[in-house]
Amino acid sequence: MVKIKYLLIGVLIVILGILAAVIFFPNKEKRVKKQFNLLSEWVSRSPDENTFTLLQKMKNIGNLFDEHCELKAPSQSLSGSYTREEISAYAGSARSYFSQLDLKFYDLHVVFPENEVAKVNLTARLTGKSTAGEQVDETRELECVLRKIENKWLFGEIEIVEVLKK
Amino acid sequence: MAVNNKIRQFFFPSLTLKFLIRVSLVALFAYLFFGYLCIPFTIQGTSMDPTYHHGGVNFCWRPSYFFSEPKRFDVVTVRFAGIKVMLLKRVVAQEGEQVEFRDGKLFVDGKEIEEPYVRYPCTWNLPPRRVEKDCVYVVGDNRNMPIENHHFGQASKNRIVGVPLW
Repeated sequence: MVKIKYLLIGVLIVILGILAAVIFFPNKEKRVKKQFNLLSEWVSRSPDENTFTLLQKMKNIGNLFDEHCELKAPSQSLSGSYTREEISAYAGSARSYFSQLDLKFYDLHVVFPENEVAKVNLTARLTGKSTAGEQVDETRELECVLRKIENKWLFGEIEIVEVLKK
Repeated sequence: MAVNNKIRQFFFPSLTLKFLIRVSLVALFAYLFFGYLCIPFTIQGTSMDPTYHHGGVNFCWRPSYFFSEPKRFDVVTVRFAGIKVMLLKRVVAQEGEQVEFRDGKLFVDGKEIEEPYVRYPCTWNLPPRRVEKDCVYVVGDNRNMPIENHHFGQASKNRIVGVPLW
């Protein structure tokens, strides 16, 4: 009876240890996915967002990206290489057109072609309301490349997958 | 009395092991069937009017193309983003064929194609382009809008998920 009690306590300690390891030492894939959660949080905007939060989010968005980030889109006018500061500025400008904005990522599929490079295929959905009252609901498939720089996973390339080519 | 018991047993079955195994098997079958073979979907948008209407409910039957290829005039579902977002379009040309629109009429390899399913007026003009290898050209049935506002073009056959059940 006493032995069973110690055995149960031992098993419980092992389970707690495993849980702690999973929570406090996430694996590579979880850390990459976390960057998308942060991007979703910082791009999203609620109607009662104050100026301080707005500026903080703009800065935070820029910090998720590498010094130079490549954007590939079906529309040639959007494609190109952007610096972190440019991304912050464009993100801030784009967000100001919306009174409400929600960015969510689904079906993230992460692979590591190299040790410090992550390639993620995912679905992005942008919903919201513009300041003019128009509803926005856009869904796209994206392919992103993140690089591990100074122990942080940063966005290096974003490609909007063209499904139908006219 | 026996009938009452049977009715009671039908609506309030006893939680025996046999019953639980049966329920688990039915649930597993339903998950596999409706998750991978016969996928339910709702139609959003009017690009396939009047053939399919906004708000309509249907099922995507995947086995249609397990052993065959999409043919001209087939209505197909095209994977757009992730595993949840699909486009519903009609195949109008296959790989190697040349597609163009002249004053709203579809031409394939220089020949005008009769399209009785296009009920609304169309004024599109699109220069000829060849459908690439392993692709099909898909267009919606509702072309009563500027060509820029309609999502159509060539899609890889890998992205063709199935056909609507009705």
